[in-house]
Amino acid sequence: MKWFLIIVLICVIMLIAYSVSEQYKDKFDFYNNLKLFLQQFKINVSFRQAKINEFLKEIKPKKQFKIFVDEYQIYLKSGNLNLTNLKLLDEEEKEELSSLVFNIGKFDAKTEINQLENFLASLELKLTKASEDKNKICPMILKLSLLFAIGLSILLI
Amino acid sequence: MLKDYLPRDIYNLIIKNFSFNDITEIRMRVNENLIIAIKNKKYYLKDENQNFIKVNSTLIENFIRRISENSIYAYNDNIINGYLTLPKGIRVGLCGNIVTDGNKIVTIKEFQAVNIRIPHLIKNCSLPAFDFIVDDEVKNTLIISSPGNGKTTFLRDFIYQLYAHNISKNVLIADERNEICSVVNGEPAVNLGGFCDIYTNCSKSFAFKNGIRSMRPDIIVTDELDLEKDLPSILEAINSGVSVIATIHAKDLNQLKKKSNFDKILNEKYFTRFVVLSGDEGPGTLTGIYDEKLNCLYCR
Repeated sequence: MKWFLIIVLICVIMLIAYSVSEQYKDKFDFYNNLKLFLQQFKINVSFRQAKINEFLKEIKPKKQFKIFVDEYQIYLKSGNLNLTNLKLLDEEEKEELSSLVFNIGKFDAKTEINQLENFLASLELKLTKASEDKNKICPMILKLSLLFAIGLSILLI
Repeated sequence: MLKDYLPRDIYNLIIKNFSFNDITEIRMRVNENLIIAIKNKKYYLKDENQNFIKVNSTLIENFIRRISENSIYAYNDNIINGYLTLPKGIRVGLCGNIVTDGNKIVTIKEFQAVNIRIPHLIKNCSLPAFDFIVDDEVKNTLIISSPGNGKTTFLRDFIYQLYAHNISKNVLIADERNEICSVVNGEPAVNLGGFCDIYTNCSKSFAFKNGIRSMRPDIIVTDELDLEKDLPSILEAINSGVSVIATIHAKDLNQLKKKSNFDKILNEKYFTRFVVLSGDEGPGTLTGIYDEKLNCLYCR
């Protein structure tokens, strides 16, 4: 029974550690997908110039864009951006994303492309940081949690 | 149609107070009252308490955001020309601060005024003039009227009448501002018959030159002729054996005579019919039809 409880404890601690590390992965994926989304949107603006609604319809079936497309479609309908679903972003990041969304589609093609390029450049920095966090912090959290779980188990034994 | 673009309360007031089929224009100017035009009369829109509906810049901005479907980049080519075309042929004229880059217009910002023009098809309105323009051939014709007096309506009906009279000639429409056909997603908003090929949103010189080469038209129809800029294109078409039907802004023949290059048109007999329209009894009132020597063939 004691051994069983210790295994359960280790599993619970590792599960918590895994879910924390997943947030870093999610954040990296979100920024990576946002980058791909904006790159595709930039291609659209510079060549086909399909309207935003048409572009979103085309791109929505791709699973990786779903979070952002859903948020954006809500904004298009209501005129308000509700980023409550994006829990992985902090307030500053949400503000930056809001300013991007508010500005999308409000300029001529040349300015729109410049705007997208600027945002992509700043996104690149975020992506690098998110990638570093993912590669460094995630394994560290898992390792430390494992050590903590083993340590706690020894103490309990 | 405008339900999707105008704020709901304003749309409901319009519908409540006016018959939508009679409205020709809805005008919105920043800090001014919203105006509804019915034929040649103008009315202020009022709310339930009989207060005038005042337009502000946010209203206009939101309206433009809606009509451009949040995609200004997709509409900017039209915006820089000062208009947008909505489905069902509704045209939105735009006024505001013009942004330039050198001599090139980049876009319009800080919109000050919007004019929503709702087209009305007046069936058979061109019929009184039809026989003067079409006999064995379709004569080169210039349709003259001041803005808002039915030139485009006349032109649309004339194109349809060619089809209805079974005159199976290829009609090329050089629709520089997408006003004649109001093409949205490749589909004209008005029934022009089955013999039309349409160039929209391109210069007349492009449409005439490429159209004659590639579409083999018998008739070219175009709107709002600029006698200085468009004359070489007209000449090229006429010398290629293509009939030209065009419209021009002028109140009457006397005003037209004052335009530069009109002497040349008259002396060289580019056009052999001049149709004058006025708004005397509503837009599109046929005032006179003249031949190449400006002899009156039909006078009201």
